[in-house]
Amino acid sequence: MKSEDEAQQREAKALEEGPKISIIERKIPFFLISRHLLRGNKWTLALVIFLMSVAFINLVFINSLFNGIVEMADEQVIATTSGNITMQPSRGSQYIENTPSVIARVRATKGVVGASSRSTVPASLLYSGIEGNFQIFAVQPSGEKTTTNIYKKVMGGSYLSDSDTDSIVIGRQIAGGKGVEMNATSFKGAKPGQNVTLLIGGQARQFTIKGVFYTKYFEADRQAFITKKALEQMMPAAAGKASTVIIKTAKKGDEDAIIARLKKTVPGAQFLTWKEASGLMKSVTNSFVTIDALLTTVSFVIAAVVIFIIVYVDISDKRRQIGIFRAIGIKSYLVSSTYILQSTIFSVVGVLLGSAIFFFAIIPYFHAYPFKIPLGDVTMYVNIGGFIWRAVAVIVVSIISGMIPAILATRKPILDEIAGQ
Amino acid sequence: MDAFEDDIITVKDMVKTYHLGEVEVPALRGVSLVIKRGDFLVITGRNGSGKSTLLHQLGLLDRPDSGEILLGGTDVTRLHEKRRTALRLRYLGYIFQEFALADELTALENVMLPSMMIESISSSKEKAMKLLDLVGLGGLERHQPNQLSGGEQQKVAIARSLVNDPVVLFADEPTANLDSVAAAEVMSVFKQLNEEIGRTVVMITHEQEEAHLGNRLIRLSDGEIVHEE
Repeated sequence: MKSEDEAQQREAKALEEGPKISIIERKIPFFLISRHLLRGNKWTLALVIFLMSVAFINLVFINSLFNGIVEMADEQVIATTSGNITMQPSRGSQYIENTPSVIARVRATKGVVGASSRSTVPASLLYSGIEGNFQIFAVQPSGEKTTTNIYKKVMGGSYLSDSDTDSIVIGRQIAGGKGVEMNATSFKGAKPGQNVTLLIGGQARQFTIKGVFYTKYFEADRQAFITKKALEQMMPAAAGKASTVIIKTAKKGDEDAIIARLKKTVPGAQFLTWKEASGLMKSVTNSFVTIDALLTTVSFVIAAVVIFIIVYVDISDKRRQIGIFRAIGIKSYLVSSTYILQSTIFSVVGVLLGSAIFFFAIIPYFHAYPFKIPLGDVTMYVNIGGFIWRAVAVIVVSIISGMIPAILATRKPILDEIAGQ
Repeated sequence: MDAFEDDIITVKDMVKTYHLGEVEVPALRGVSLVIKRGDFLVITGRNGSGKSTLLHQLGLLDRPDSGEILLGGTDVTRLHEKRRTALRLRYLGYIFQEFALADELTALENVMLPSMMIESISSSKEKAMKLLDLVGLGGLERHQPNQLSGGEQQKVAIARSLVNDPVVLFADEPTANLDSVAAAEVMSVFKQLNEEIGRTVVMITHEQEEAHLGNRLIRLSDGEIVHEE
């Protein structure tokens, strides 16, 4: 009898306080979501996940494309015009003197993998009655090969060798021809093997076009190169002098540290990073960065709205079920947790699917068929930090998108929920 | 259930009015009643008489505008929704006219679900299997609602309402969507639960023959109890 009384008292107390429910109830959302994934409408499930992945791809695609443009532009500047670092004469000087010694010291500096001196040739070119003022440099071809990739971009003929004295290589925008962007101000179809005349300081000297190069970077393709040896034959005073020294570093991003070392190695000389030397190109790439930020913001808002609508519609469709669960005593937080968990799973799977499509379909496609713009061929460039940030953002937006309708639904009157009102 | 004396639920002067735009529709006008342990209380009345509204208040699915509902002597009328949810889970079983089963769960899982709130999966499963056997659905435990007939679905709903051993079962026109054979089967389950197990049942029905299956009868009209026997 005593134990019956105690049991009665325990029940009475439980009724007064409300039944205590243990941690055991937390399995409910996992149980419900596992059944939903197993037995829910597979097409709806696939569509929701696919839409999530599309929203995610949209976010990373734009960013990777613009990253690709900026990266390609940077690479073009470094590989065709300025190297990683451009060394200029000390203030008040017109030339870098004693270049062989300077080049040797630069090459010996830690982090430098190549150096090449360039002398600006103050001349104009004459071809078939057309005279043009282009950037003409005298270079040491063997040194140039350690810093730029122009020698690899020869589309007709061949590149210079150190011993050449009457050869010139010209960029595609100088040679001109059908389909060339700047054909109007070019030689309109100059070809390797033909002659051009270099007009310098009242002298006229014939050069044979040894090669035409095409880097796809219009600023580089408006350049022409002769050898140092040829320049020194015309202007003996130019021997041992250079206008600039182009320096190639082992790694992009180390420029400032290497400049600090170079300043000790070559006191007085001025050094510019490729960013500082790139001038107009930097403005162009900065514009791309700004457009990317703008489009990313817009894409993010669109992705957030799309995800919110997807999740909202999905959960609104389950309002009757939410009402039933609450009616049979399932706590509201467990019901809302179920749909928050569902949004989390959908978004994680959506992000994984989107990543798979992106890395295994979109990126290889753009590698095979690059997006062609006047600066060069653009491929996707993934910034891992930005990629992870976007993935996390999509998941967080999805969780919030699931949380809002789920919590709102569990605050409505149960009977309204069951009636779907 | 030992905390409950003979009077399981006491309703005092309950009033509920619906507001349809600017129009006020009184659904319950001062209803008072006592539900005793072992009752099989049948509530009848015409459409709009307030039957379902009354059952919703008793089942803690809605709140009255005024009046009191005492569950085992405790006033539960104005309890926080969290406490009311816990009371529904533990002490009240509710059977809806449209079965109200979760489509993505099997019969067994539908029955297990409320029990899983307070017990392990294995013990919930064991209880659910026994209850499915009790309502005559042994062997159909793996079927989803859309693979079951209306009568079978309603039996699943009955089994679910019983899984946490409630003190009272509320059934809102449980046979309204069933054919006569299924309706008779479902009613026999209620009868069995009341007579053989002593379960307290409160049921709404339109059917005259079902009205006399209970041991108490209340007739509502315009939100008031007009007849009681």
